[in-house]
Amino acid sequence: MRMDGFKAIAIVAVLVVFAVFAGMLVIYFTNAVPAFHRFGIDVYLKNIWNAAEEPSREAYGIAAAIWGSFYTSLIAVLIVLPLSISYSIFVVDYAPKRLKNVIIILSDVMGGLPTIIYGIWGAFVLVPLLRDYVMQFLYDHLSFIPVFSYPPITGYSYLSAGILLAIMVTPFASAIIREAYEMIPYTYREAAYALGATKYEATKLLIGYIKPAILSGFILAFGRAIGETVAVSLVIGNTFNLTWKLFAPGYTISSLIANQFGNAFIYEYMTPVLYAAGVALFIIGLGINIIGLRFIRRWEENVKL
Amino acid sequence: MRFAIETVNLHIYYGSNHVIKGVNLQIPEKGVFALMGPSGCGKSTMLRTFNRLIELNEEARIEGEVKLFGKNIYSSDVDPIEVRKQVGMVFQYPNPFPHLTIYDNVAIGLKLNRLVSSKEEMDKRVEWALKKAALWDEVKDRLKDYPSSLSGGQRQRLVIARALAMKPKILLMDEPTANIDPVGTSKIEELLFELRKDYTIVLVTHSPAQAARISNYVGFLYSGELIEVGPTRKVFENPEHELTEQYVTGVLG
Amino acid sequence: MSSFEVRKQKERLFLMGIGSLTFLALLPLFHIIATVFRNGLPVIIKEGLNFLTGTFSNGGIGPAIIGTFTLTFLASLLGLPIAFLVGLYAYEFPRSTVGRWTKMLLQIMIEFPTILVGVFVMQVLVVPMGTYSAFAGALALAIILMPYVAIYTHEAMREIPFTYREAGYSLGLTRIKVLLKILAPMTKRGIFTGVLIGVAKVAGETAPLLFTAGGLYESYPSSVTKPIGSISLLIYQLVQSPSPADHEMAWGASLILLIVFLGIFIPIRLSLKEVKL
Repeated sequence: MRMDGFKAIAIVAVLVVFAVFAGMLVIYFTNAVPAFHRFGIDVYLKNIWNAAEEPSREAYGIAAAIWGSFYTSLIAVLIVLPLSISYSIFVVDYAPKRLKNVIIILSDVMGGLPTIIYGIWGAFVLVPLLRDYVMQFLYDHLSFIPVFSYPPITGYSYLSAGILLAIMVTPFASAIIREAYEMIPYTYREAAYALGATKYEATKLLIGYIKPAILSGFILAFGRAIGETVAVSLVIGNTFNLTWKLFAPGYTISSLIANQFGNAFIYEYMTPVLYAAGVALFIIGLGINIIGLRFIRRWEENVKL
Repeated sequence: MRFAIETVNLHIYYGSNHVIKGVNLQIPEKGVFALMGPSGCGKSTMLRTFNRLIELNEEARIEGEVKLFGKNIYSSDVDPIEVRKQVGMVFQYPNPFPHLTIYDNVAIGLKLNRLVSSKEEMDKRVEWALKKAALWDEVKDRLKDYPSSLSGGQRQRLVIARALAMKPKILLMDEPTANIDPVGTSKIEELLFELRKDYTIVLVTHSPAQAARISNYVGFLYSGELIEVGPTRKVFENPEHELTEQYVTGVLG
Repeated sequence: MSSFEVRKQKERLFLMGIGSLTFLALLPLFHIIATVFRNGLPVIIKEGLNFLTGTFSNGGIGPAIIGTFTLTFLASLLGLPIAFLVGLYAYEFPRSTVGRWTKMLLQIMIEFPTILVGVFVMQVLVVPMGTYSAFAGALALAIILMPYVAIYTHEAMREIPFTYREAGYSLGLTRIKVLLKILAPMTKRGIFTGVLIGVAKVAGETAPLLFTAGGLYESYPSSVTKPIGSISLLIYQLVQSPSPADHEMAWGASLILLIVFLGIFIPIRLSLKEVKL
């Protein structure tokens, strides 16, 4: 295509953006290299954190943080699932028009709320609440079940982080699912009712139709949850703890970076290890988002059928 | 005489829009009744009163009566779901559910309404409906496929099978060939010719030629008013109303 | 009870179920707003106007407020022109390879963990300069702002009917004139919305500032090459402090941040049908 004034200017901007992205890749990988050299793949597979003035005594493996990222996001998504599907059905099928607008606006406000506000509320309100009323109860009565077997002393834990993340990303998954549910061509709705379906049965049928969109909503919600930093780091307890136990404190990759980067320069290998953690987060985030976006695109094509 | 469908002074409004203006229509049992008229005349709206599907539109308001086999389906003791079980419907856009297999598309109405009790009975009924819709031979080896592998005409026959599976007495068809290629269209028209022996079919069409080809009776609807009704041949050869004559000869939209 | 009654009963249960789950999903919002007001308002009332203007040891968060506005302004200055051009590019060349990659990249960047952006900017800016700075913080925020505005620009442009493009070109205008003089002004509302949403988003960001802005709460910021504070960053640091007095300040600062956010977000949201979060 011929170059013209617009293209010449705009392509510069586009190149800047690509350069920033490529720059991020380069920075993360090159800075992580010493960690890979020293610890190999163990930097991801081992759960160890020995910071030492003497570089030869340093040893790091961030398995617990990687685990924590997945585990908290999984807890979050499992809670998001019923909430956001119910929300979408309620808003589209049942809520009267005015209520519908109010609900959607509230949900959008929740989605846009600064994460630090979730953080302070999580640390000072949600955590004590969960500890005193949920965790203590489950621990007292059901601690023979392994996931409930950690004594909830502080309340800062995987469960708290998972629940806070769920609250934060529900609006986001809800928006995706609601849009998909609303996009179902009217004719399918008519067809369901024409067959004598009750509203509940029609809903069930149509939810089946948007399964790919629901799936992508969850994948993208998972991606958001895994990348969230400050709110999580204020409620998760920041401890290396590779366990299923819900009430145990833990770490996530992003909260590890947020917490340790400030003093990492003191040690020879800690900074490279944190960059390696960044690489992991980078790859996980990229992979999850590409898969999620794929699904949603496939769904959009499906609707046009 | 008892009619399959009878409307008594039927009015429909969309908000402040008066779409159907006092229609009295009688549709006899068995045969194809074609409801024709230019687009926007209200024929699709009218069709949707016969199974109360119109109520999905919150704006819509209905006055008057619609009787199916003598019973007013708008009286307060009637549940719309019960009505819809007895009335099948086929739509302008062939809309088998894309996420269900061919088999499940036919079975879905039966499943929802628990009309069959065993797997064997279901298999039989699905086969029967597909045969009835003249689709069995084309799909019998790929019942587990999804409708996206079917042509437009095949999809529409699948929708017909979906409706027939419930063994309705009445079949409502809203311009079923509007989005189908000519070959598919003639297949569906042949099928209607077969089905009209056993069913009361209300066919909405904007094509007078189609109405002439397959219907026993026609009604001509023009901007919400029923202009003329009668046996097809009579209406086409000797229309009483000038508007009807203009319409069937193609002078009018 | 007939099977039909059972179906009806199921229907009612179902409605109750999804209604209460929907309520449950929104409940935290009310609780958060109520708690922030309950804990924050007394602090602000106690300190009065000083809370908004004073330095930290005088019981105020003035430098943090100025910091947030400065950072947001600088981030817009850096990010908006690029975002606008990139959005136009993706709109203008949707089928070219670069155009498609650009769109994909924008969608990936919007979902990207923001902490990674902060660390990146630290490495390329803070380390060479040897100091945290307002510029570094603003750059990190600009990278986060960019995809929002670009995507909104792109979407807004796409809604313009094709015929206006034709009309523009039929007047003998060049591409740049058609885009900037005819099409973009037609949809300036949509683009402006994108700008506001992006700005509301970055005004509340914390993670990208952790290793870039540095923090400055005892004096007002004076230079873009020196450290700067922000309300969100201040809250983050105060929440981690063991002192109850710091926690009080954190609640007060949260209330200010909440009001700033709602003040930008609610008006935009009410003027719109949909937003992309």
